[in-house]
Amino acid sequence: MTYDYAVIGAGVSGITCALTLARSGHQVALIEQAPRTAPLLRGFSRHGVHFDTGFHYTGGLGPGEPLELFLRYLGVGDRIETFCFDERGFDLFRCDAPAFEFSFPIGFANLREQLAATFPAERQAIESYLEQVAAAGQAMPYLNLEAELSQESLLQRVIGPSLREVLDRLTGNELLKSLLSVHSLLYGVSSREVPFALHAAIAGSYYQSVRGIRGGGLSLARAFDARLAELGVTVLCSRQATAIELSPGGAVSGVRLADGELVPCAAAIATVHPQLLLDLVPEGAFRPVYRKRLASLEETVSAVLCFATCDAPIPGLSGSNRFYIPDTAAMDELGGRAVGRGALYLSAAYRDGDPVPAGFIGICPALYSDVAAWQSRRGERPTGYAEYKEEALERLTAQITRAYPELSGHIRSIEASTPLTVSDYCATPLGGLYGVKHMVGQYNPQPATRVPGLFLSGQAVASPGVMGAVLAGLVTCGTLLGHDRIRKELKGCC
Amino acid sequence: MTEQEIVAKINSSLAEEFEYDLAAMTPETTLFEDMGLDSLDVVDLVIVLETAFNMKVREEEAIRKIRTLGDIHEFVIAKKRQLEGDR
Repeated sequence: MTYDYAVIGAGVSGITCALTLARSGHQVALIEQAPRTAPLLRGFSRHGVHFDTGFHYTGGLGPGEPLELFLRYLGVGDRIETFCFDERGFDLFRCDAPAFEFSFPIGFANLREQLAATFPAERQAIESYLEQVAAAGQAMPYLNLEAELSQESLLQRVIGPSLREVLDRLTGNELLKSLLSVHSLLYGVSSREVPFALHAAIAGSYYQSVRGIRGGGLSLARAFDARLAELGVTVLCSRQATAIELSPGGAVSGVRLADGELVPCAAAIATVHPQLLLDLVPEGAFRPVYRKRLASLEETVSAVLCFATCDAPIPGLSGSNRFYIPDTAAMDELGGRAVGRGALYLSAAYRDGDPVPAGFIGICPALYSDVAAWQSRRGERPTGYAEYKEEALERLTAQITRAYPELSGHIRSIEASTPLTVSDYCATPLGGLYGVKHMVGQYNPQPATRVPGLFLSGQAVASPGVMGAVLAGLVTCGTLLGHDRIRKELKGCC
Repeated sequence: MTEQEIVAKINSSLAEEFEYDLAAMTPETTLFEDMGLDSLDVVDLVIVLETAFNMKVREEEAIRKIRTLGDIHEFVIAKKRQLEGDR
């Protein structure tokens, strides 16, 4: 049979596309090279503790908020159970020089008062910042269903201003600027590069509400699987797409798989990293300028991650994460410092069904260039790589136990991943933790391409995170089926 | 750069990046009908100009009004003059 759509990549945006198209009555094939759908959401387990790799917490999941609405629209909202993070402090920020701690409370008003109480001389700057964040969030199409699509201008994100420019205009207080930039770890772009509009959409959603999913990203992946089956989507796992085939007229005719099989389709949606798309289409399908543009897109910072199990429950990590920086300059140098000397993020890991954390995940920004010498040596990497990994883990562990002495002596097992792991696992050529960057001056691709029947989705076309990936899927389907139609259907779920 | 040089550089850059016949390019050449560009290509057009002249193009309104190759020539010449005046 010829499918109406073949979707390449069963990550969150690919699944969103498949479900949205299938609920409109289209025949959809979903192609994934990993053995299961949404591998990043699923995470993995060690010693009975589950580690989330792609999802830790999110904004926008409160009742009536955008992501909650999107998931209901996709038919998975009632298949997952969400819980609210600690209202008094969903993120605990700590800086060593100067010594400083701050708990981010949930809610714009609470945050405003907490910040103003901590920085009394900066009340005006704080109020103005939060007003600008809220206004920018309201202007985002789809996140606000009433926002005009034309408001999202062609050049808006590319022009900026950056987060740093907005903060510099408001205050000279470096500590406050670092504090308000700390959520840049959630999209992997430094405050000097990230468009304020993108920061506002992401950070603002967390200021509004912060939730997790019971059972973590795995529960969401299972909910997606159930819904894909219910809607009759053909899911092809362990099948790698190797080429998008075009008819003599130049339109998409099918997707070729690594085993030689052709999945015939009238249209294809590629959710792969835009650079990898270039390997899938015939050389002359895109103009030189577009090929160069996709090939030169910068990726977000990469990271060294650690996954630890503890011999005692760690209730302090329940419902709140830790952000640590050694000094205020650290937020400007994402990945620019040796492992163990820069910013650090800690999040809880749980034993199945246990509400008290039994381990944690540590994330430290790092550069792919540190490990680039060992790329494409998967499975047979030389000893130099093993030594790098061991040293990175030692440094990271030392930093964690220095910053959080309460964890010291309780770590039972700890393993690391490197930017190469991220590159392999997330299919990002340069190990970008979030794939292609959203940055001032960079033109990310849009869903439509000049090849008839070929469309793009994935976080690169919208924004990172689960909410960004769902948003990307909806925006791509809006391009296919009509934005007004998708928005009307979404409003019908309100 | 003389205006002639600017025009020549615009034409050669666009011919290369959009795979269009340089010899067929005149100021009256329309981007959408003659060169086959569409709204999707506007971003790439901006990127070609930014790269060729090492400048940032932020005049969204002006870009949206461009219809012919001559419009691009005028836009870039005016912008170059303005940038030189700022120096």
